[in-house]
Amino acid sequence: MTRAGIDVGDPWEAIEACYARGWTDGLPVIPPTEPLVDRMLAGGPWSPGEVLLHEPVRDRAVTAEKAAINAVMAGCRPEYFPVVGAALQAIGDPAFMLHGPATSTGGSALMVIVNGPIVGRLDLNAGANLFGPGTRANATIGRTLRLVLLNCLDCRPGVLDKSTQGWPGKYSLCFAEDEAASPWEPLSVSRGVAAGRSAVTVYAAESGHNVLSHGTGDPERLLTCFADAMAGLGSLSPGRSVVVFAPEHAQHLRRAGWSRARVQQWLYAHAWRSLGDLKRAGKVEPAFYTNPELVAWIYRDAPGGQPEPAPGLEDAERVTPHDESVRVHRGLGPDDIVVAVGGGAAGGHSAFFPSWSRGRSVPFVTKEVPA
Amino acid sequence: MTRILDPTLSDAAAPAATPRAPRPLALRGLTVGLLANGKSNGMALLDGIAERLRERHGIGEVVRAAKTNASAPVSEEEVERLAKRCAVVVTAIGD
Repeated sequence: MTRAGIDVGDPWEAIEACYARGWTDGLPVIPPTEPLVDRMLAGGPWSPGEVLLHEPVRDRAVTAEKAAINAVMAGCRPEYFPVVGAALQAIGDPAFMLHGPATSTGGSALMVIVNGPIVGRLDLNAGANLFGPGTRANATIGRTLRLVLLNCLDCRPGVLDKSTQGWPGKYSLCFAEDEAASPWEPLSVSRGVAAGRSAVTVYAAESGHNVLSHGTGDPERLLTCFADAMAGLGSLSPGRSVVVFAPEHAQHLRRAGWSRARVQQWLYAHAWRSLGDLKRAGKVEPAFYTNPELVAWIYRDAPGGQPEPAPGLEDAERVTPHDESVRVHRGLGPDDIVVAVGGGAAGGHSAFFPSWSRGRSVPFVTKEVPA
Repeated sequence: MTRILDPTLSDAAAPAATPRAPRPLALRGLTVGLLANGKSNGMALLDGIAERLRERHGIGEVVRAAKTNASAPVSEEEVERLAKRCAVVVTAIGD
């Protein structure tokens, strides 16, 4: 059976034909010829017709073959395909509710954090410039997700992808955890995957915030900078957080003997603003007071609990003395903070990535990469 | 000539169309559901629509529902509840 496609004379014509049909993210793509696509498919365990991602809102099914075509175009090598497939399965998990982060004005990127032995086999970068350019596996695996969204789910900018601004992570945002530099077990193990197995963890990420600290090795002083970034009013929400510690910062935490769970707990406890601050900044929308989940978030840690009678719409902007003592935390608990390690050996530069959405966002999803 | 393969779903089978429920011929006296998606002004928009529907078409009772998470699909229970009580349901996003 002839597969759907177009016939072209030479590679340049092919690249231009892909542009002409809107099949790219703005950068040139590798023309997906049949032999290249077949080699890509052979790199994974899936048959061509197997569905790797089903998007329920618009009822779109992305098969392994379509994923392979987009992986070729993104520049992947066939041995990357198991990671691509696992990442597609992760963002296609119904819990991830892909339609929201894929189309929202929030303009999030799909972050992929890779753990396990496949990191070494694919030369995925967990070190210097891990969020930046320069490594084929990082660049092309992340790019494949974007091309699948563009080409298979029709997430065209300004049409179905209504990102107000978007950000460069939307081209590609895939990196490995530096398991050797980490004081803790691999992130995938903390998230329930057996040690020694490879896995991806996906997240709907807004643009990262550099957290720089060079003047202290004391864990609480160090983490104060992170909690402050996380409590910024611009991104404060009941959503999730990803914090990637540079090896230098991770080393301070290792020396102090802090566990991953303790770091998560400390960050959750300290990343808060008073309800008064939120109201003065217009961060409490009147509709919040009609949404039980948001009311529960705001008053989760309030002295005396939720106020009686329940606050009304007019209370959204009215600051009371009591509001100054109500701590509104980022997220709903320590588990809403993923803590990982990565970056170059030198430099006190870590990163905090807020979640997409002013609400709960979508959960982290971890999937094992098939061997 | 070399063939390059289509990365889109244009050649895939079209999603199975869900059959439309039968439409009432008139709204007079019928119960109308309002389903807001959970954003700030969704219900305000729907209340305005219900007001117009009452003026122009004499609708009966109004049943309100709002999703607590705009990204999450409406729950099956909520769909069941609305389907049982309402002749039509209007849904809206209002941000």
